[in-house]
Amino acid sequence: MSLKRQLGLDILKERYAYASDPVMGHTSEQKIPDTWVSTTCGYCSVGCGMFIGVKDGRAVSVRGNPDHAVNSGLLCPKGLSEHYTLEASNRALYPLLRNKRGKLARIEWDEALAIMAEKFHGVQEKYGRDALGVLSTGQLVTEEFYALGKLVQLGLGTKNYDGNTTLCMASAVSGYKRSFGSDGPPGAYEDLSQADVIFLIGANIADNHPILCQYLDANPGRTLIVADPRVTKTAMMADLYLPLKPRSDIALLNGMIHLLIENGLIDREYVAAHTTGFDQLEESVRKYTPDHVSQLTGLTPEQIYKTALIYGKAKAPFIGWTMGVNHSTKGTETVNVINNLALITGNVGRPGASPFSITGQCNAMGTREAGFASSLPGYRKFESASDREELAALWGIGAERLPTSRGWAYPDIIEGAVARKIRALWVIATNPIVSFPNLGVLQHSLDSLNFLVVQDGFHPTPTTEVADLVLPAAIWGEKEGTYTNSERRVSKVNRAVKPPGEARTDFDIFLDLAKKLGCYGELFPGWTQPKDAFEEWKRISAGRLCDYSGLTYELIERHGGIQWPHPAGATEVKTTRLYSDGHFSTEDGRARLLPVEWEPFPEQPNTDFPFVLNTGRTVEHWHTRTKTGNVPILERLSPNAWLEMNPRDAQSLGLKPHDRIDVISARGRVKSVELRVTEIIAPGQVFMPFHYAEANVNQVTQSAFDSISREPNYKQCAVRIERAQIAPQYWGVRGSPRARVQA
Amino acid sequence: MAAVCDYTMLLPLLERAKEKNAYFLVTPKTGARSGVVPQCGTAFAPGAASVPQRAPQPGEQYRFHFDMTKCIGCKCCVVACNEQNGNPADINWRRVGEIEGGWYPNTHRSYLSMGCNHCMEPTCLEGCPVDAYSKDPVTGVVLHSAEACIGCQYCTWNCSYAVPQYNPERGVVGKCDMCHERLDKGRAPACVSACPEAAIGIEIVNIAEWKREYATNANAPGLPSADDSISSTRITLPDNLPPDTRKADFFRVKPEDPHWPLVAMTVLTQLSVGAFVTIWLLQLFGKTTRLGVAALVSLVVAGLALSASTLHLGRPIYAYRALKMWKRSWLSREVLLFGCFSGVAFVYAGLLWFKLPGSLAIGALTSLLGAAGVTASACIYLVPARPAWNSKRTVAGFFLTAMLLGPLLAASLGIGDRRWLSIAIVVATAGHLLNKAGKFFWLTASDSFELQASARLLSTTLASSFLGSNALLCLGGIILPLFVPSWAGACASLLTVLAGEVLSRYVFFVSVVPKNMAASYVAAGKAAA
Repeated sequence: MSLKRQLGLDILKERYAYASDPVMGHTSEQKIPDTWVSTTCGYCSVGCGMFIGVKDGRAVSVRGNPDHAVNSGLLCPKGLSEHYTLEASNRALYPLLRNKRGKLARIEWDEALAIMAEKFHGVQEKYGRDALGVLSTGQLVTEEFYALGKLVQLGLGTKNYDGNTTLCMASAVSGYKRSFGSDGPPGAYEDLSQADVIFLIGANIADNHPILCQYLDANPGRTLIVADPRVTKTAMMADLYLPLKPRSDIALLNGMIHLLIENGLIDREYVAAHTTGFDQLEESVRKYTPDHVSQLTGLTPEQIYKTALIYGKAKAPFIGWTMGVNHSTKGTETVNVINNLALITGNVGRPGASPFSITGQCNAMGTREAGFASSLPGYRKFESASDREELAALWGIGAERLPTSRGWAYPDIIEGAVARKIRALWVIATNPIVSFPNLGVLQHSLDSLNFLVVQDGFHPTPTTEVADLVLPAAIWGEKEGTYTNSERRVSKVNRAVKPPGEARTDFDIFLDLAKKLGCYGELFPGWTQPKDAFEEWKRISAGRLCDYSGLTYELIERHGGIQWPHPAGATEVKTTRLYSDGHFSTEDGRARLLPVEWEPFPEQPNTDFPFVLNTGRTVEHWHTRTKTGNVPILERLSPNAWLEMNPRDAQSLGLKPHDRIDVISARGRVKSVELRVTEIIAPGQVFMPFHYAEANVNQVTQSAFDSISREPNYKQCAVRIERAQIAPQYWGVRGSPRARVQA
Repeated sequence: MAAVCDYTMLLPLLERAKEKNAYFLVTPKTGARSGVVPQCGTAFAPGAASVPQRAPQPGEQYRFHFDMTKCIGCKCCVVACNEQNGNPADINWRRVGEIEGGWYPNTHRSYLSMGCNHCMEPTCLEGCPVDAYSKDPVTGVVLHSAEACIGCQYCTWNCSYAVPQYNPERGVVGKCDMCHERLDKGRAPACVSACPEAAIGIEIVNIAEWKREYATNANAPGLPSADDSISSTRITLPDNLPPDTRKADFFRVKPEDPHWPLVAMTVLTQLSVGAFVTIWLLQLFGKTTRLGVAALVSLVVAGLALSASTLHLGRPIYAYRALKMWKRSWLSREVLLFGCFSGVAFVYAGLLWFKLPGSLAIGALTSLLGAAGVTASACIYLVPARPAWNSKRTVAGFFLTAMLLGPLLAASLGIGDRRWLSIAIVVATAGHLLNKAGKFFWLTASDSFELQASARLLSTTLASSFLGSNALLCLGGIILPLFVPSWAGACASLLTVLAGEVLSRYVFFVSVVPKNMAASYVAAGKAAA
């Protein structure tokens, strides 16, 4: 501190000066940029339009785009502070290779990519092509996903390629595919403003998608029903809140279907014309009487009647769900029951009415459409010979080069490494050490690898710290492309500033690696920029459900995002819904009604582990906090993890508010978590946010996966709570996101 | 919102529920639904609808309206405010707190978002020694001038809502100014335009009417009473708040800042005043030996005390400005009175040293000014926003410190009759301990959150400091004077009591639990580097 400042002659007047700006109005002078770069938010899949303010080559501010179709200029607290992620102190700056002394040391890009190509080649030579695993993300632009898919499946030639989207959206994808014949959420956000009944299942939009709440606000006549075992912020907004037992949603939905059929509140014409399997469905729900459902869900028969009748009598009922449904061993089937309910009442693809999966990451949708992991690009099926032939013809390659089945999903790649079938792993823009369930298995898996490459915008993260090779990547704000949001709206992402250090865009990294592998000319002929990928992707998607062929970057920018399908020749930009004509993507054009049985969740509480642990998010943080953990204001607002416990349980354990506790399961122990004693959570259940590496809830979650989608069952596992074995701390507790996870 | 709207789809469920085949009725929550309905085909400018379209007229002012039924606790307002004002992350002119009540599953957690309440009788303004605050005559916005501010932080003690926040990087306080310069241009304040739920708005209020009816509209669970300053913020509460609703951070109480320069300053001024009064009394009763030396030592102590006080200021070079508001601010009066006290004490010491006439009268004046200074000093702490200080026990405590330390200094300098001095010391110590015990029992027995929380601090986190300070006082003020009647004993006694007083004053500063709005359950983090 200077002497002038110490004496008080200097009060940093310049730093705290205000000025007037035609765009921003009167505001802090340092936040006023020279130029505004239009883009789309890089956190969640709501897909808010925004501008990055750039001054002297630095991003100094952001503001919402008032003309954007999604957010009308509003942003959540993460979006409002997103420019800080660009200059975070933990950005990855240089390629790093683990040297003989076991330390990560800086190397040149050329060398890094040569080593990567050589190591991958070596492993694939020795152990087979599929001994290489690739774990991608929902954070890249669609153009990068499209390029990566080709690079992995055709260039590297491994089919063991999946994304962290399997930890998040896979159940929605599989559920849509099984019911409707294809992935693709049928509705639009506008439906939230047009529905007369909104039924949210396992979705806490007030915390996780707060900008969607304005659509509800704009709908004063709606009735909001929220089903959630925890009294979330969203539950408190509900007109009818259903505090059901964990994972009893299938029983509730079957019970509703039972009552609707019984009371003639279904659309028989629609069912006859557009679905198959009604008789089996009717048979399967017969036993889900209100009394039986009441036992399974803990709701009263009256609540079940009420919910069924409100839904059944609605003109335009909307069903939205997120991770409460997806994060489950029965996730796919839960999505099928939701679809069953919408189908028998004819509520698919009508204004206001759709079964709608609210997605997680900013471009989870993009990787689903173009990514070549869970399906062939353009929602084509691996299993379909005609789909393979069509795609091969478009690419001008032999159809035999395309895999005939999907490779291993994320958890199977991890377990494959434990079994030494996966020998090298390439992790892109994700942080499994914090996000993957049952950390012990994951660490064993990573330890078993011959070679681990982590490509990320941030270093150190718990995962880059254990990598053999770290590739520094550009992030949101530093690259160009498109994101698709939950409602299939394709929005433009633009570069505002240069990446720090030697970080490169993921797109450039993929192309450069292709050059090293010798497949650049074939896969990416003449490509230099994301637009080249976009142009090819438009041709590949033409005629598919996710038809991009009528889109151009300019058109997207002009409309602040456009929903697909937008085929070539489309003259009008308007809200689109899928299956409005009742024609589905199945072979016979009919949707499938699929009987689903309720089952208890896999790990029931017992005498050793008497609590059901639920996990989730908080509004201030994003995923594993590699980004938000270094945004000072977000860390200020939510600095540490906590465990929610009902006061009755706390009393019986002799625990007091703010005590430090350990969370213990059969698999591990999370140490020294702040106890939150609250009536938000039911007796017998506890809740913990999953963002914090320092208190990593995935030390206790289990390796239980949906047999269809392979999505982990994050939402329930059995735990015990003990007073922490370290001295309690009363305040000011803050860990560093860089803290290494303790084994 | 999307450009294409089809409102023919809208059919309120209520309407259909009244149809004859419906047997139940869903009642929409009142007040929760007055969201801004976007007009078809036009984008609405965030927050624009929540700002008055005219300037206040005489007898009116602007105020915030906070609609608790709409707030979802997303904290966009906090982030937007920090961006608007370029503040570091650990300074939040707008804050969001949580209140919670009810029983699962009928639990209610509500959120309180608050900037400055632009009070009708702003306590920050009344206490400010340098007139850095003003209430804008047209808008009613309570403005703070960083230029005028000297960083004494007295306003941060006076505000029941902890609105003014000291910025150590700048050395001055800052606060929410309702973005009045945005309002002037018809733009919404940053918090208003960032709110995705339109829960924050600006309104015009008739001042006279509000003074009559604020009690029902400005108060909320988790907020201090609006009586302290007549907050102008109107709060719309949910109509179904459970009766046990309380702040989520009810059990999280942490010690306040110790303000070390003030610990030193208050203890040393009281020592000096006590010493001069003792010297004067001794002179009055005919003692003459070594009074000059004692006065000189006391004068040096006074000088140290006043120097220490400037270390508390963010801008010590402008300390003199603190004299400005002597008509209104106890802090100004303290500075003025101790300033005069030191000046007169200097003369008194000179007269004693050179054995000049008139010293008895000047000594009387010194004593009088000293006592007045201690009174002013104590009155600084009598603020409603800091309930544990706001008691006559604070005044008594300050005087008892002076009455204890003065004779102790005299005894250790070997002037006066040690027996009589010892009696004075023991009596003062006993009074002091009784006063402290009385305060502790008062805190424990109180039903106010802040006083109880202070008692909780004293009996848990601060227990060792609290008991330690009392033990030191007991040792130095009772045991040593009674059982070690020697000069060495007196010196040991002085050092022990001084340590006890410093520890005791530290406990005084850190154990106060200020009034404040509810905070989050999890404590706010320190700003990331």
